[in-house]
Amino acid sequence: MSSGKLESSVTSSRPGGPARANLGEPHGALPQQASPSPPMATTSNIPLVPAPPAAPLPASPRPRRRLQWMHRLPELLIESLIRLCGWSAILFVFGIFFFVFREGAPFLFGGLDLKEFFTTSNWNPVSDTPHYGILGLLAGTLSVTVLSMVIAVPLGLGAAVYVSEFSTPKLREFLKIAIEMLAAIPSIVWGFIAYMILNPIIIEVTGAPVGVNILNAGIILALMSVPVIVSVGEDALKAVPDGYREAALALGASRWEIVYRVLFPAAKNGLLAAVLLGVGRAIGETMAVLMATGHANQIPHSVLDRVQTLTATIAAELGETVQGDDHYRVLFVIGILLFAIAFIVNLTADLVVKGIRGKQNA
Amino acid sequence: MPDTQGNHFRYYVGPRAAGAGDGSATAAFDSVGTVIEHIAHTHARSQPGATKLRGHDRVDICRLADRAGNSRGAARPRYRFYVDPLGSGLARATGTAKLPWPDLETAVAGLEQLDRRGAIPLDPGECLSLHVREVFSATPVDRAKRRRETIARYVLLCVTLTMVVPLVLILTHLVAKAWPVLSPSFIFENPHNNMSAGGVWAPLVGTFYLVFISLLAAAPIGVLAGVYLNEYAGDNWFTRIVNLAVLNLAGVPSIVHALFGVGAFVMFAGMGYSVLAAACTLAIMTLPVIISSTREALASVPMTFREACWNMGASRWQTIRTIVLPNSISGILTGVILQVSRAAGETAPILFTGAAYFMNVPNRGLRYFLPYSLNDSFMALSYHLHVMLTQVKGASSEQIARGEAIPLEHLQYGTAVVLIGLVLVVNSFSIGLRMFLRTRKKW
Repeated sequence: MSSGKLESSVTSSRPGGPARANLGEPHGALPQQASPSPPMATTSNIPLVPAPPAAPLPASPRPRRRLQWMHRLPELLIESLIRLCGWSAILFVFGIFFFVFREGAPFLFGGLDLKEFFTTSNWNPVSDTPHYGILGLLAGTLSVTVLSMVIAVPLGLGAAVYVSEFSTPKLREFLKIAIEMLAAIPSIVWGFIAYMILNPIIIEVTGAPVGVNILNAGIILALMSVPVIVSVGEDALKAVPDGYREAALALGASRWEIVYRVLFPAAKNGLLAAVLLGVGRAIGETMAVLMATGHANQIPHSVLDRVQTLTATIAAELGETVQGDDHYRVLFVIGILLFAIAFIVNLTADLVVKGIRGKQNA
Repeated sequence: MPDTQGNHFRYYVGPRAAGAGDGSATAAFDSVGTVIEHIAHTHARSQPGATKLRGHDRVDICRLADRAGNSRGAARPRYRFYVDPLGSGLARATGTAKLPWPDLETAVAGLEQLDRRGAIPLDPGECLSLHVREVFSATPVDRAKRRRETIARYVLLCVTLTMVVPLVLILTHLVAKAWPVLSPSFIFENPHNNMSAGGVWAPLVGTFYLVFISLLAAAPIGVLAGVYLNEYAGDNWFTRIVNLAVLNLAGVPSIVHALFGVGAFVMFAGMGYSVLAAACTLAIMTLPVIISSTREALASVPMTFREACWNMGASRWQTIRTIVLPNSISGILTGVILQVSRAAGETAPILFTGAAYFMNVPNRGLRYFLPYSLNDSFMALSYHLHVMLTQVKGASSEQIARGEAIPLEHLQYGTAVVLIGLVLVVNSFSIGLRMFLRTRKKW
């Protein structure tokens, strides 16, 4: 410590000396050097003074090594634990696939007529001659998802643009909290809202005999997937470098022109990913659609028809099945299908986002 | 006709007034006031077919120098007045360069007033000029552009509000409908009389159980996985696969998680239809939320903190333990709390792994607080709401009249409000924590 004080006084007595300038340079490249704290300054100046003769090290290396081992061991343990936890995500995804597949496979490879499964809409698993046609369920899922996206994509992207580009900071804070709250509402409560509030409103407005139908589920699902679209879309817009906006402003573009001509093309992939994630959420939603769609297996002809979706079918029927019978297993087959759809949607979203990253780096 | 050079109009006022002059040098107006009146008629925007003044236009009023009218006025006008649509726009505008009149109507009124007061006398050969400034004034293209921007701004605001307004409406509607039953006794009483009376205590405790156990399982794994991804994982194909797995875990439909729970925990692991199986299913479902929020929190700790620590000779784990985690612990907590709110609201994953339709829980004693063991099935608030909505028959009107039961609708709304309240309170706590952190952030 005394040597440190000594040499710091030496440097201050001749600031800007040639030796100091040369030696200071590599340290100046470090960001911390902007405001060097006293101990840092002393360490950076150590080469200036001749090093004091090093104190002889204790001559016994053995205890030292043991000490190191004792320090290293818990660290190695904890590091391997961390690695294990990190890899567990892969394990869980495979686990999900494996266990769902394990329950569904016996029927998938023995007994299930895949042609009937995908091309007919006769879903009647509990009759004497059971039929497993999921075309109606697929149509139900598809119609509800499409309608919800028709509502949610303009809303979500518009809100993302507003929050990211137009709103004042205070308003932005408020809107983001509101959107977060919207995302926090549990799906069963959305189902409750669909059943108790939206149902009579739809009957009143459209004159349909039942208010739980595609329209109802579409609106509810749109409200549920909008927060995803907004937050991912906002991230995508924020990821566009400010230089793009400034360049456009310098050319005299208005804010809307910046959004329309610059940000949309630049953030295209991110926005697409946002929409895809919204689609994923809409397809996978269970409890809200169970209550909002009316749960009637048919190919829909209008938005006021009741439908039944893949997810709701599992939720409604798994409790009534006998474990291990065909009906039980076919529900797991639907689960495999849903897993595959979700996997493809997420993979596509990921690739789409990675695509822009790669291009921007190039 | 006035002298016109492009967008520069010049009217003359002559000593030799020719009755109804038209402002030209040969037929000048008789007074400045007449000219101003004329300008108001021919240039003001409200007049149909008027020669409207735009940016860079200029109107001069000149007094002829001599009787012959051969003077074209002084080169430098004696008075300059300005009209600027983007100027101050204030009522106290005086037409000076600093406080220009906002439009020609105001300018004409102002000039008339000045003229009446005799404040702008013009000697022969002198000139008064009125400039319409172009600098920062809108061209038609600009104006259209700005109009489009305003439209876009308000349309987008409306779009955003269509998400906020339903939220507020729904919440107020729910609370208003549930108001008759909302009381401490509704929360602290168990449901009884075939769930047609009583409160939500047993399901509420079940939800606490569920969330707590799932948190015990998910939080350590999730946080450590976040640490791995942010601190250890290199930029290689394996990390990409791990990232993809996290993303997919987040995207798997909740009902598929339920199927997984049935296959893995209820049957394969032999946990049976129990709190434990349901909590494990939920834990895996909420894992990606914790992982990604932990990652974000860790990534917000500046790299220089770590470098400084490494320079002191600390190992990687020592750095994480003493520098990185303490600096990001609150961010991690935010994510974990968020997970709590999500786990509390989920229904599908517990549907087949442990949620019970009804359990008889006594209203006093130890079992009031600890109604379920780990291997029991349990009541959860979210599933309770589902049951109330789809399977419970309301009490008869006589029972309600005798005070033995509460109308079904009130119970349904009450349950929904308790659930949503629980979730939103936890969520606001997380948001509040995050905002508090942002104010305290030192780097």
